[in-house]
Amino acid sequence: MASFIIRRLLYSLIVLLVASFVAFAGVRAAFDPLAKFATVKDQEVKHRETVRLGLDKPIYIQYKNFIVKFVQGDWGTSDSTRESVASMIQRSMGKTLQLIIPGIIISLVAAIGLGVYSAVKQYSVGDYVFTTASFVGIAMPPFWFGLLAIEFLAIRSKDLLGLKQNPFYFVGLHSGNGNSIDADYARHLVLPVLTLTVQLIAGWSRFQRAAMLDVLSADYVRTAKAKGVPRRRVIMHHAFRNALIPLVTVVALDAGALFGGLIITEQIFSIAGMGRLFVGSLTNGDAPVLAAWTIVAASFVIIFNLFADVAYGVLDPRVRLS
Amino acid sequence: MKRKLRPTRLLAALLALGLIAAACSSSSETSTTATTQVNVPQGGSLVIGAEQEPDCVDWISSCAGSSWGYWMLNVQTMPRAYDAVKTDGEYAYAPNELLAGEAQVTTSPQQVVTYKLNPNAVWSDGTAITSADFKYTWEQITTGTDIYDATGYKNIESVGTPDPQTAVVTFAAGKNYAAWKGLFGGGYGIMPSHILASVDRDAAMKDGYTWSGGPFMLKSWTKTDNITLVPNPKWYGKNKAHLNEVIFKFTADTAAEFKAFTGNEVKMIYPQPQLDAVDQIAAGLPDANSAYTADTGNFEALWLNNAAAPLDDVKVRQAVAYSIDRDAIVNQLFGKLGVTKALQVINAPIVNAYSDTQAFAGYTKDLSKVDELLTGDGWAKGADGIYAKDGKPLAITIKSTAGNKRRELTEQVLQKQLADAGITLTIANTKAGDLFGKVLPAGDFQIGLYAQVLTSIDPGRCNIFCSENIPSAANTNSGQNWTRTNVSSLDPLLAQVDTELDDQARAAANKQADPITAEQMVTLPLDPLPNILLWSKTVVGPVSDNAILGPFWNLADIGIQS
Amino acid sequence: MTLGAEPPAPGTRSLREDRERMADIEPGDMAYQLEEGLGRENLAGMPEDGEAQLAPGVEPQARSQWQLFRRRFVRHRMAMVSLVVLIILIVLCFGATWIAPFPKNNQDLLSGSLSPSRHHLFGTDRIGRDELTEVLYAGQVSLAIGLAVAFIATVVGAVLGSLAGFYRGWTDQLVMRVTDLFLVIPQLVVLAIAIRAIGQTTSTIALILAALFWMYIARVVRGQVLSIREKEFVEAARACGASPFRIITRHIMPNIIGPIMVNATLAVAGAIIAESTLSFLGLGVQPPATSWGNMLSDAEGVVGTPQAYLLYFPGLLIFITVMAVNFLGDGLRDAFDPQSHD
Repeated sequence: MASFIIRRLLYSLIVLLVASFVAFAGVRAAFDPLAKFATVKDQEVKHRETVRLGLDKPIYIQYKNFIVKFVQGDWGTSDSTRESVASMIQRSMGKTLQLIIPGIIISLVAAIGLGVYSAVKQYSVGDYVFTTASFVGIAMPPFWFGLLAIEFLAIRSKDLLGLKQNPFYFVGLHSGNGNSIDADYARHLVLPVLTLTVQLIAGWSRFQRAAMLDVLSADYVRTAKAKGVPRRRVIMHHAFRNALIPLVTVVALDAGALFGGLIITEQIFSIAGMGRLFVGSLTNGDAPVLAAWTIVAASFVIIFNLFADVAYGVLDPRVRLS
Repeated sequence: MKRKLRPTRLLAALLALGLIAAACSSSSETSTTATTQVNVPQGGSLVIGAEQEPDCVDWISSCAGSSWGYWMLNVQTMPRAYDAVKTDGEYAYAPNELLAGEAQVTTSPQQVVTYKLNPNAVWSDGTAITSADFKYTWEQITTGTDIYDATGYKNIESVGTPDPQTAVVTFAAGKNYAAWKGLFGGGYGIMPSHILASVDRDAAMKDGYTWSGGPFMLKSWTKTDNITLVPNPKWYGKNKAHLNEVIFKFTADTAAEFKAFTGNEVKMIYPQPQLDAVDQIAAGLPDANSAYTADTGNFEALWLNNAAAPLDDVKVRQAVAYSIDRDAIVNQLFGKLGVTKALQVINAPIVNAYSDTQAFAGYTKDLSKVDELLTGDGWAKGADGIYAKDGKPLAITIKSTAGNKRRELTEQVLQKQLADAGITLTIANTKAGDLFGKVLPAGDFQIGLYAQVLTSIDPGRCNIFCSENIPSAANTNSGQNWTRTNVSSLDPLLAQVDTELDDQARAAANKQADPITAEQMVTLPLDPLPNILLWSKTVVGPVSDNAILGPFWNLADIGIQS
Repeated sequence: MTLGAEPPAPGTRSLREDRERMADIEPGDMAYQLEEGLGRENLAGMPEDGEAQLAPGVEPQARSQWQLFRRRFVRHRMAMVSLVVLIILIVLCFGATWIAPFPKNNQDLLSGSLSPSRHHLFGTDRIGRDELTEVLYAGQVSLAIGLAVAFIATVVGAVLGSLAGFYRGWTDQLVMRVTDLFLVIPQLVVLAIAIRAIGQTTSTIALILAALFWMYIARVVRGQVLSIREKEFVEAARACGASPFRIITRHIMPNIIGPIMVNATLAVAGAIIAESTLSFLGLGVQPPATSWGNMLSDAEGVVGTPQAYLLYFPGLLIFITVMAVNFLGDGLRDAFDPQSHD
């Protein structure tokens, strides 16, 4: 187990290096950080900026300067805002976390419940409804759902229900300049989290259902039933726990990808999280921010992948961590 | 003149709201639905939607070139010598309350401007605003590192401070700067020497500063979320702030800004003039007021590359102009809002006093003239209806900023009109950053459709039309004459506009230059870009837009009903 | 035969193989759900309970593999419906030149945006273009990208995956390392940079998406090949002296065609959604070409306005297409191996 982890970590470091180089060099090549000075009358500013950003040096030297400082803890400053990259990422991560954590918790509980119910009551009306719903959820483009949610749940509902204000808000996480956790915050949080959970629940409940079905038809479950163990105990004690194991992996993998993956949702709901940071630094050609962003997002994927593998190995003794 | 294109993201959504007759005497130039004069209540908090967050607020630094930052924070907190104000329908510079009166200008042997300061003018900490602040500002701009644009300030030889209330700005010999009223104010403002002289100015300012010389001061800047202003208790001006708090809330883009407004999460927005805005206003907004004006510092044109075949031939350029019905384009797109006429001079409406506003009026759709010009030049109409010469058809490519619906629309209408006249137009849009960073400077275009934005009342266009500014090795390819305009009679006139200190003579020179640009068809003006302001009916007071200072220039006079 | 259908070998299962197997457990039981009265489908044609009773005089008929496949597929009603829906969509979109009520890009600036009516079934957009027409033409691009990406990704992924699984060794390592790398980097980073560098036309976008999607298919194929290669019939073929090429194409491929096809359909759905996401960020096809994603992103601003209907139709079509493709994948999975989920 230990050697497995260490090997994986070492390998991951190489992946991170390559990924960050691709991001750094790629965004420098594809996006021009000097574009905003195109029409400034005094063109000397272009020369100065070129020197300041080190654009006159070859790309691998630029990258070397960046990564050498990065590993020492100095993440540098943004090319466009000159703010510390570390604080930008920290702030954005905080906002994204406020979506991801409730999203994952709600989705997990709902998906497990729905998946198990569907599997146990296979072919029932409930199963049919939930499975159709999950198909719908998977096929639904997330930004379409988000925009529809705003249109119907936030805006139209006000007139339909005769309310004075929109029941849900959809710009940022707080009204005005508040930053406390209150009803206003909740009203801002509902729609983006809903958009997120719809996708997650759809996928995870399907998965849970299949895993549960798989387990329910296994020999040892059949044996338990034959032995006369009460149905409920069979389900909860034998089947359910084993059926959870594959789900752990899927959840971990999806969760890891979420940290860099809420780009559309954050765009629609004007939430300044990791997704917005990505889009912003991309259009500004801000290579240090984008490279650091890539490293952080990829790290989350790697950590969660590793967690998934280890957890699976731990939970399922039949699996060998090769 | 300081010309500055709005930052990339703004450009990406720039759309014209309408065309308005360029002539000063046009009637429906400005439209507003706010009519009643109410007593403005004291107190309250106003949330305004802002679609762009400034990168930093060290105004003179290269990270601060953001219009929104200027409108939100600079105008509210930085002292200015001159303000662009609109009187009798025309924009002109008037002395700010900072000055005791008009500045005195002497021109021989060199340009000297003497400012007399208001003895009551103080910073938010009570210290007087003095000529030392003028001197400090000039020094920082000309000697600081990473300065955005030192144009104009570079011409200054020295700033004398004979007494705290007098600043004597001496320009270098032979380096007259006609647009001097845009200095010590303009996009930068004047900085407090007593606070900043002893520290690193950039570090002290870039993330926000707590001092102020204007009606408001910065309470907090929560990055990516909002900028909050509170009244400056030591503000010395006549109009004291009514609001307790002004919150500028950042939204992702124009669409989000609109959603926030319709969802009542923000009470006022200043959106890019998009088709959405047009539709909304034309349909009527039940809970909101709207004001749009085409008397702005922004205009769009079809910028023709004078050095790229077939447009290097003036006859072909003129033929293109006669093929297009510009009024019809504008009318078709924006007739719903009462906007029907094209722009007839290559300059923004706010400098109409310096322009021959009907210079291009002769260019209307006239297919017989097109034929006359082209056949006289050796072109002949082929069987497919397209003109051809030496076996090559008359095909032109137009480039503009991608992702801009209204511009795409304009291009498609142009395509049809030109096809009817016998010219093939191909559309090839590209991202704004590429367009302004690479394509236009390199001359890799035939027709460019984009806007120019004036940030001061300066009609000067030498930087975009004088032959010396064609990008070349001599200016390390940083010249801004992207149209490669090379008209010898034009150069001296435009140069004079930049240096002539006598306002009358300046206007005369510019008015002489305009017909030449029309005759040589260096570029075809299309429409002035209007500014749109939308605000909830609970916001009271003289809400209006100022083409230079932005929509929040008189925030102190605004209040909110609870 | 799918991996995992047999009981686990005593002692251990490799984590990697288990992972690959899980990629297969895309639940496909919808088929069974909607087959009212059919109950659980076992082997083709066999009744559920009791013994097979043949009427006197009736001869048992032999059925070919293809016939069995077709029979199973046809029983999956949703898949049949989806197939029909997809065919209709493809015909409508690619035949738009003849079918669409108005010519493409037919602007009528004076009428502006009109709500859906009898004259304009989907309404018109802000410059008076008939929305139905635009949606059909846009479908050409979206569907073309979806199909092209799936096709290229499947071919490339199947080839590389089977090579990796068959030869193991450094071929395997190479494929695994490359796919590992790109599956870890957030996809949009790679896509955004590649698209900006290479260009934003329909073909380049399809190529770039395919270049990302083949990795998923390669991994699935690899897993499948890994399990199959140990089977006796492969050993037998090898003993006969069959060349690796022959073994892969004649013996292994036919047995794993099921998961490959299923993943190919998933790739279609994924590509369509990926293209719309890219358009939403401004990285999709550029005008005058339109795609559903493009139209959807243009409609972001109409939320809360009377033109909100512009939002419904492009998204609805993406949704229908993806649903249909998913059902189709389900049906294919079913048809190739009815035992896979019981």
